[in-house]
Amino acid sequence: MEAVETIIKTLHPLEIKVLLHVETGKKLNAEILMQELSFNLGQCNQVFSWLSMKELLAELERFTIISYEITEMGEEYYKQGTPEERIVTLLEKEKKLTLPDAAKYLNIDNKDVGSTFGLLSKEGMLAMNEDKAIYIADKTKDQRLKHLRALLDLLHEKKSVPDTELTPALQKLAASLSKKRGSGSSICKQLERDKVVYILTTQGEAVKKALQTKGVTGQEIGVLTAEVLKSGEWKQRGFRSYNINTPPVRVLLGRKNPYVEFLDKLKDKLISLGFEEYDGPLVETEFWNCDALFMPQFHSARDIHDVYYIKQPQYAKTIAEPYLSQVSHAHENGWQTGSRGWGYSFDKQFTKKLILRSQGTVLSAKALVNAKIPGKYFGVVRCFRYDKVDATHLADFYQTEGIVLGKNVNLKTLLGLLKMFAEQVAGAKDVKYVPGYFPFTEPSVEVHIKHPELGWFELGGAGIFRPEVTLPLGIDVPVLAWGLGIDRMALMSLGLKDIRDLFQADIEQVRLRRRS
Amino acid sequence: MPKIEVHEKLFHKFLGKKLNHTELIDVLEAAKAELDEVNKEDGILKIELNDTNRPDLWSTLGLARQLKVYLGGKPSQFDFYSTPEAQKEVDDRVIFVDMGLQHIRPFIAAFVAEGPAIDEALLIDLIQSQEKLCGNYGSKRKTIAMGIYRSEKLEYPIHYIAADPLSTKFIPLGLEKECNLNEILTLHPKGMEYAYIVKEYKKYPFLKDNKGDVLSFPPIINSAKIGAVEVGDSKVFVELTGTDMYTLVLAASIAACDFADAGFKIKPVKVCYPYETPLGSEIITPFYFQKPIMLDIQEANKLLGETLSPAEAAKYIEKMGNKVTVEKEKITLFPPVYRNDFMHPVDIVEEIMMGRGIASFTPVMAEDFTMGRLTEEEEFSRKVRDIMIGLGFQEMIYNYLGSKRDFIEKMKMVEDSIIEIANPMTESYEMVRNSIIPNLLASEAISGNAVYPHLIFEAGKVVLKAKDENYGSKTKNYLSFLFSDREADFNDISAKVSALFYYLCKDYTLQDVDDPRFIKGRCATVFYRDKSVGVMGEVHPDILENWGIGMPCTTAEIDLDQIMK
Repeated sequence: MEAVETIIKTLHPLEIKVLLHVETGKKLNAEILMQELSFNLGQCNQVFSWLSMKELLAELERFTIISYEITEMGEEYYKQGTPEERIVTLLEKEKKLTLPDAAKYLNIDNKDVGSTFGLLSKEGMLAMNEDKAIYIADKTKDQRLKHLRALLDLLHEKKSVPDTELTPALQKLAASLSKKRGSGSSICKQLERDKVVYILTTQGEAVKKALQTKGVTGQEIGVLTAEVLKSGEWKQRGFRSYNINTPPVRVLLGRKNPYVEFLDKLKDKLISLGFEEYDGPLVETEFWNCDALFMPQFHSARDIHDVYYIKQPQYAKTIAEPYLSQVSHAHENGWQTGSRGWGYSFDKQFTKKLILRSQGTVLSAKALVNAKIPGKYFGVVRCFRYDKVDATHLADFYQTEGIVLGKNVNLKTLLGLLKMFAEQVAGAKDVKYVPGYFPFTEPSVEVHIKHPELGWFELGGAGIFRPEVTLPLGIDVPVLAWGLGIDRMALMSLGLKDIRDLFQADIEQVRLRRRS
Repeated sequence: MPKIEVHEKLFHKFLGKKLNHTELIDVLEAAKAELDEVNKEDGILKIELNDTNRPDLWSTLGLARQLKVYLGGKPSQFDFYSTPEAQKEVDDRVIFVDMGLQHIRPFIAAFVAEGPAIDEALLIDLIQSQEKLCGNYGSKRKTIAMGIYRSEKLEYPIHYIAADPLSTKFIPLGLEKECNLNEILTLHPKGMEYAYIVKEYKKYPFLKDNKGDVLSFPPIINSAKIGAVEVGDSKVFVELTGTDMYTLVLAASIAACDFADAGFKIKPVKVCYPYETPLGSEIITPFYFQKPIMLDIQEANKLLGETLSPAEAAKYIEKMGNKVTVEKEKITLFPPVYRNDFMHPVDIVEEIMMGRGIASFTPVMAEDFTMGRLTEEEEFSRKVRDIMIGLGFQEMIYNYLGSKRDFIEKMKMVEDSIIEIANPMTESYEMVRNSIIPNLLASEAISGNAVYPHLIFEAGKVVLKAKDENYGSKTKNYLSFLFSDREADFNDISAKVSALFYYLCKDYTLQDVDDPRFIKGRCATVFYRDKSVGVMGEVHPDILENWGIGMPCTTAEIDLDQIMK
């Protein structure tokens, strides 16, 4: 019984009407519905298709009906006369004519006149003499003429005529005309239609009974409109039940990009931990990108194949003092930092070279100049690398970096900071620290975490800025510097494998993307 | 960062101890190293070394030397080097340097190693450390190149000269016929690879012995005659040439220590220069030039957050293979001959951290109160993005680099309006965008199958050329959005701009503009406080055709930094 209930909810008003109308054991076809329920043919076809799919009606018998329909050409011949009629009328007037003259006179193609003459001469109505002139040989042999006209009249009147309503002669003629040629150059076309007779199934009977019991009429209100509300007709008529499981239409909506959302959440988390955001230009100088970070100018990572240089202009106009002098001295001999320096001659032109920043630490160095003490800073910033782009490398990508300044920060607070990131940012419980190496920090530490889904991996690197970095920039307290690798977590959160997909340009892909 | 292949048996032999892989992974931390791969079949471990200032660790022997002491073994004792105060005997082992090299490749260091016959595993390791020293630490042989020869065949003194590239000939390793130096640079694979180091000079570095037998054409290739060392050889001559004296002498010491640890006796060689060098005009190598460095225990404790006594700290420093003396609060470290990475006392602090073990330091939370906040620009951008999303737009995020074809040609823009990269890797990434519109159109070009309408936007950065700026350019925060549908027109985009400004509580005006990106008469400059802050309009079919877009597009771009004020 539950099945019947469910079926009722899926019924269209047309289906309901049919079910309520049909009697058990009685044959049902399109004609009956058209006559008795004033359905059109389209509605009949739809309702039969729906009801048989639901197995409420079953197919009893099926046969093919051939019918003929008049074409545009047929309509024209109906009005102007067929070529046969026109030749005969012409010959009645002119008596004798050559075929080309007849064609010219009637404005019909030579070969069409020829073939028409051929058909009529075969029946003995027309003939041709020695001078190649045609004439009426026997006016009584006009069977073809009459049949054609009869067929045209019938087709014109009824538009569509079933094969069964034609005399055998007309049947033959219609078949030969529409079969010989394509529909365009013929007076009629043949159509084949399946005619199906349906009968109510047992299930259909059950549904019908249920409908009757419930008093469903098919007249229930479908869409509730303002008019319906105003007229109050809903008070008399019930509402049609909808199938709540019909798949809904797709909604196109305005949405955040899931990767940007991930980065937003990361920033929010860092703010909540007391960090202030910094930012800066995408074009930087060698000075801030590397020199200020005490990376010697001959460092192997400062090769032409590691950073992108700007074509024009190639150099910055100036580097702010006293930082330029202090940093250059730190490189050459350590300046007042207690270091022996790198012991080479610092190139003050090279340091002005413009590049696309290759690391977020640039902004940490710049932030030192105006930093508050104590202070905590961070940036989630775009960086550029001279890398071949593949599933794990991008030419431009985000780095997450920051610094912590304070009189009392040290290795233990550095580890505390990393522990906080591991727990708060990555949601990890197991944390491991190992010695690391970065040119600008000493000591340096890497933090490895056991991510709930990704397993053990390196979350980031950190250290205490070397005095050769901080003192030339005017900072005389220890500075913890840290960087987090968040790409793997971003990919996992977005269900992606290929880092290039973070910057997906395909609209459909972005629309469908979700963040877990 | 260098990666080395370590022969496990050889490694255990020098370590004096067998470690399983879990133990190894832990111990490797003392060398800032990671176990990358284990090849069980041929007993090879692939290990990555993270410290680019510790080239002494880039060989099986060097790594074993560090870890052996860390695990409590006896440190290697080296006594083969000279110091500024004490010189070693060299007998007839002398190299004379030609004046002509002063501005080409001025420095050379050398030694002789005599010992047991070299076996295959050791030979492979020696070749590897040569490659790492010269390739990584020596910047692709530019600052360090190394050659090993059979020393029995040499007659001292050896001459390091600046030779004429055309008239100087010999048979290089790997070829069978005699070539002049120029031919080697163009014919020999190593010649082609390293030609860049010497080709700008008129004369090239050249090394021969007293008989005139050729040792090598440094930094390119050895001679076939004496420059081929094979399994079974037991007496070798090792030389290194380069451009920085300290780097070179350090590299020579590292190589000598590896040989010494492998059981070889090191015999020094004297180099005589006709010019002054940072270490004088006569140097006997291997040479110890490193200076002691002093650390105040208070400084160390401040950075470590601990209260270690000087003696405790000294113990941990020694565990890392260093020699120290302690006097009251001061610890003095005497760097090993194979290390030159102690630039500042903080470098000793890290030795304490590693010697004691990082796990012995308890993480603590910093107590300083600080206030977190976003930049003003980010706050404003978030507000703008919220409005755009409310207007039904899908947010996009794009790469900032792109091609000249996309940014200039397809957009009909003027060539020098965009910041260009001087050394692009591929033409797909040769410019930094100065507008987000090309990115939006690129999306349209590949999204013809996505259900319409398309409403997309990005709030992101662009770089504009700006002559007056110190950097000649300015990074800005832009918002661009695009609406595409069967009948998208100016009114659609205008309505969206209007809504955006309304909810930002800003007023704007529009003015007609001629812009090749848009249909004339259907685009406008957006003004805010009498300043042009953006543009909007119907994208010209020419541009749509360039991108292969078959649907009308309207777009707008606003300078957020300008309207934020």
